[in-house]
Amino acid sequence: MVGFLTKVAGVGLIGLAGFWVISAPALPSMAVYDGLTGDAKAGEPVFWAAGCASCHAAPDAEKDAQLVLQGGQAFPSAFGTFIAPNITPDPVQGIGGWSLPEFAMAVTQGVGRNGEHLYPALPYAAYNKMAPQDVANLWAFIQTLPASATPSQPHQVGFPFNIRRSLGVWKRMFVKNDWVVQGDLTPEQSRGRYIAEALAHCGECHSPRNALGGIKRDQWLAGAPNPDGKGRVPNITPAKLSWSEDDIVEYLTSGFTPEYDSVGGHMVHVVENMARLPESDRRAVAAYLKLVAPQQN
Amino acid sequence: MKTKLVAFTLLASISAFASFAQDAADPFADVVETRHGLMLQMASDLGTLGGMAKGTAAYDQAAATQAASNIAAIASVLSMAQFPAGSETGAAADSYALADIWTKQDDFLSKITDLNNAAGMMKMAAATDANAIKGSMAQLGGACSACHKSYRQPES
Repeated sequence: MVGFLTKVAGVGLIGLAGFWVISAPALPSMAVYDGLTGDAKAGEPVFWAAGCASCHAAPDAEKDAQLVLQGGQAFPSAFGTFIAPNITPDPVQGIGGWSLPEFAMAVTQGVGRNGEHLYPALPYAAYNKMAPQDVANLWAFIQTLPASATPSQPHQVGFPFNIRRSLGVWKRMFVKNDWVVQGDLTPEQSRGRYIAEALAHCGECHSPRNALGGIKRDQWLAGAPNPDGKGRVPNITPAKLSWSEDDIVEYLTSGFTPEYDSVGGHMVHVVENMARLPESDRRAVAAYLKLVAPQQN
Repeated sequence: MKTKLVAFTLLASISAFASFAQDAADPFADVVETRHGLMLQMASDLGTLGGMAKGTAAYDQAAATQAASNIAAIASVLSMAQFPAGSETGAAADSYALADIWTKQDDFLSKITDLNNAAGMMKMAAATDANAIKGSMAQLGGACSACHKSYRQPES
């Protein structure tokens, strides 16, 4: 009996040790950033394309107030409610004291300054495909924005999801470094893929997730329940989105559908962001959407 | 013939009573219908301008000016008159209006002002050329979606 218990304890310990190893934040080298200097002006379109302000601005912030990334917006999910933190240049409440490699580690790898896993409400599963120069430019731009001393609020996440270490396992299972849409792409399609899959993180809302919250990459952009509980985020694969590329460009510019209804909900943010990019970028996204594998559901 | 007439009169009075009863049950039926009608007319005029902006229709100064004038006229009609307190989604049939309209009424009205300004810009653009219309669509669309983001319940 004692022997049996020892064995159980032993297996348990090995399991725990294994969990400890595979859940540890994997820290790829950020050495590539040592030689990079960011250009704030070039970082502005990256900032809009990546939608930073849409989540990190104060709730209901409009116009110039959207540039104060003081946090506070709440994002409900099946795992708890995440509250966007202050990422203004304030050295105490914000990220003013961070270095470029620390910023890159957080944005592209989901690992915070103290080595802790960040929750994937920050879409690092998309941002991990960002070009390092774009990350450097984004960092330079964010440092030019107004500081705010508003403290970040804690996430409202219960057990077991409040054990950040478990995110290490989640990341190994669900965060992929490769593109969803593969194959020979024209420069325009490739640009559209970069905007849609790396920056604008379309798949975070438009793709369904499994029970653990991992994106089902085999149903990319096939639509999903709205995380705030109201209705569905639509299927935007060619099976359901029958709009022409011109229609898509118009929607991403003015928010008008081909029937001249206007965009609503969280997508308003996305259109506001996309409208700030050059038209060639919106055309690229439209070209990319035509390449996505059709999904019927 | 006489029977038919009686039947018709009977049918007419039943349906008249039915719609009266409906109005009595839903005091907001008329304003909700008015709101939707105004939006649909706006969509129709936007379609005229949008076709020229996208290049699927040739630029026609008279038609563009008419459409832009219609949009400006509709924008000028929009006020709290079509949005009486209590006519929000859930309370009034077919309504997508959110109750924030009345708790943040100043902001709601400022968004209507933004729409009127954007419609004024579109009137100038419509008299110019297709490229100007295209440039003006983003501002006009931005005014529509800014209000819909805050005050309209998403459909799906």
